Amino acid sequence: MTFKKALVFIKRDFILLASYRFSFFLQLFGIFFSVLTFYFISKMFEGVAIPSLEQYGGNYFSFVLIGIAFTTYMWTGLGSFSGNIREEQMMGTLEAMMVTSTGVSRIILFSSLWDFIFTSIRAVIYLLVGIFLFNIDMGNANLFAALIVLILTVVCFSSMGIISASLIMIFKQGDPVSSIFSTASGFLGGVFYPIAILPGWLQNLSYILPITYSLRAMRHALLQGYSLEALSTDIFALIIFSIIMLPLSMLSFRYAIRRVKVDGSLTQY
Amino acid sequence: MGCVIETFGLTKRFAQVGGFIDLLHPLRKKEVTAVEDVNLKIKKGELFGILGPNGAGKTTLIKMLCTLILPTAGSAYLNGYDIVKEEEKARASLGFVTGDERSFYWRLSGRQNLEFFAALNNTPDPRSKIDELMALMELKDKADAKFYSYSTGMKQRMAIARGLLNDPEVLFMDEPTRSLDPSVARNLRDFIKEQLVKNQGKTVFLSTHNLDEAEQLCDRIAIIDKARIRACGALNDLRKTIKRNETYLLEVKGFPGYALTKLAEIEEVISFSMRVHSDLTLLEVELSSSEAVLPQIIEIIVGTGGKVCACSTKKIALNEVFDQLVNKGEKIDI
Repeated sequence: MTFKKALVFIKRDFILLASYRFSFFLQLFGIFFSVLTFYFISKMFEGVAIPSLEQYGGNYFSFVLIGIAFTTYMWTGLGSFSGNIREEQMMGTLEAMMVTSTGVSRIILFSSLWDFIFTSIRAVIYLLVGIFLFNIDMGNANLFAALIVLILTVVCFSSMGIISASLIMIFKQGDPVSSIFSTASGFLGGVFYPIAILPGWLQNLSYILPITYSLRAMRHALLQGYSLEALSTDIFALIIFSIIMLPLSMLSFRYAIRRVKVDGSLTQY
Repeated sequence: MGCVIETFGLTKRFAQVGGFIDLLHPLRKKEVTAVEDVNLKIKKGELFGILGPNGAGKTTLIKMLCTLILPTAGSAYLNGYDIVKEEEKARASLGFVTGDERSFYWRLSGRQNLEFFAALNNTPDPRSKIDELMALMELKDKADAKFYSYSTGMKQRMAIARGLLNDPEVLFMDEPTRSLDPSVARNLRDFIKEQLVKNQGKTVFLSTHNLDEAEQLCDRIAIIDKARIRACGALNDLRKTIKRNETYLLEVKGFPGYALTKLAEIEEVISFSMRVHSDLTLLEVELSSSEAVLPQIIEIIVGTGGKVCACSTKKIALNEVFDQLVNKGEKIDI
């Protein structure tokens, strides 16, 4: 029954997205052009040895491509839950869902499934464009290790996203968690440049962000083919983040649901 | 027959959102009472109406019973399930029909919308249930058209179809005819009474501020105003509680105008009015004491050459009950 429910959410969101065909194709074109932009930026460093990139194979284009491809999971994890709640509130469909036999936590979780699927499609397109059009070498990739890192990444960011959704439910607007976290992650997490080029104190700050471990492990797994054992430090860090964040997110969400049911503001936006 | 809805002292108070000055007094709470001490017992198969002006507390009461809002005090049982402690079981017993047509996905078809909500309701054999409901709502031909192409009446029928997906014991309808034109609203009222209540045996809890709708549809009516139930009962019971002089309607043929002067001389006649339709005069007379005076009035009419074709008491309309309770603020104990 749970699987069936998950499927109807995915079907609903796919039909809704496909009904806006122009926007759908624009997003696909957007991927191509952002890859192209970073390809030409990387051309500036061609033939130049960059020490901070050596651990990732020395190629800036492959480094940044994995950075942008997998940072989309962070955006989705952080924004999808709260975004979906807000959208359903504004569309007026949240109340209709809340009186069904499906619990609110599953409604919120399933509402974000399509976003993660679409993010995965985009990440795969990023990588395929990189591999087939711009000759990125991923011949050594350890896909199983990359998958483990990806799962932990999704759990970490989704937990943050659920905390953000809890705040959105209560305050309706102005969630500080996702904006601070995503800005800090983009700046310090090594998305566009290796954290090794940051000053020491900023490097230290970057280690409190899960994206630092996610992107480092993902690049090592896909570009260098690192084994799970070699990735154990980053994987362990992501597990610790997940153990702390996941229960915290569940508690905050439960509290938020109760609070809005007391306030009667469940469907207000 | 058992009760499917029971409430005991059900109360809801909302914290009032204050201005910045209230931040200086974080411990001082301002509250507004939306529903106060509501005690209802609604039987299976009953069409129960909750009637009240805007802001009286109708929607808050329905939302509490639908588990969307937690009560501040009191308790309520839906199909025997506590709406707070057993909210999932209570939800499985209810269908909610809102007058808000935004509560659908406009870019999905009617069928796709119902498929989605059927899955959320754990509807067994959803395909045949959806076909059945689409046929019942006369939407089968348009089942695969996008929801945005539906007329307002069709959208409202879709809302009812969705409310019936889980074959609920109780259907809550929050102002279901609010945005419908008179003919579509009449059809929908017929459907609620004949199909849902008579044929399918559903219990319907209907909120409305349309007095005619409540009068035509409901077995019992509760009048809510300023958060409190002011009166509750069958319309006839509510009528009996109204303090009003007896008013008689007389249909008279050949009524001579000078007879009015004679009627005016009777001390017990408080007021009268007349309308003439071709050779028939409709006379409305309000009396302070009917038993002794009515024969006297008829005698005057007959004595002056008129012929009384019909005589009846004027029924108290629901709007008079409503007016006495809501606008004049009187309280009725039934």
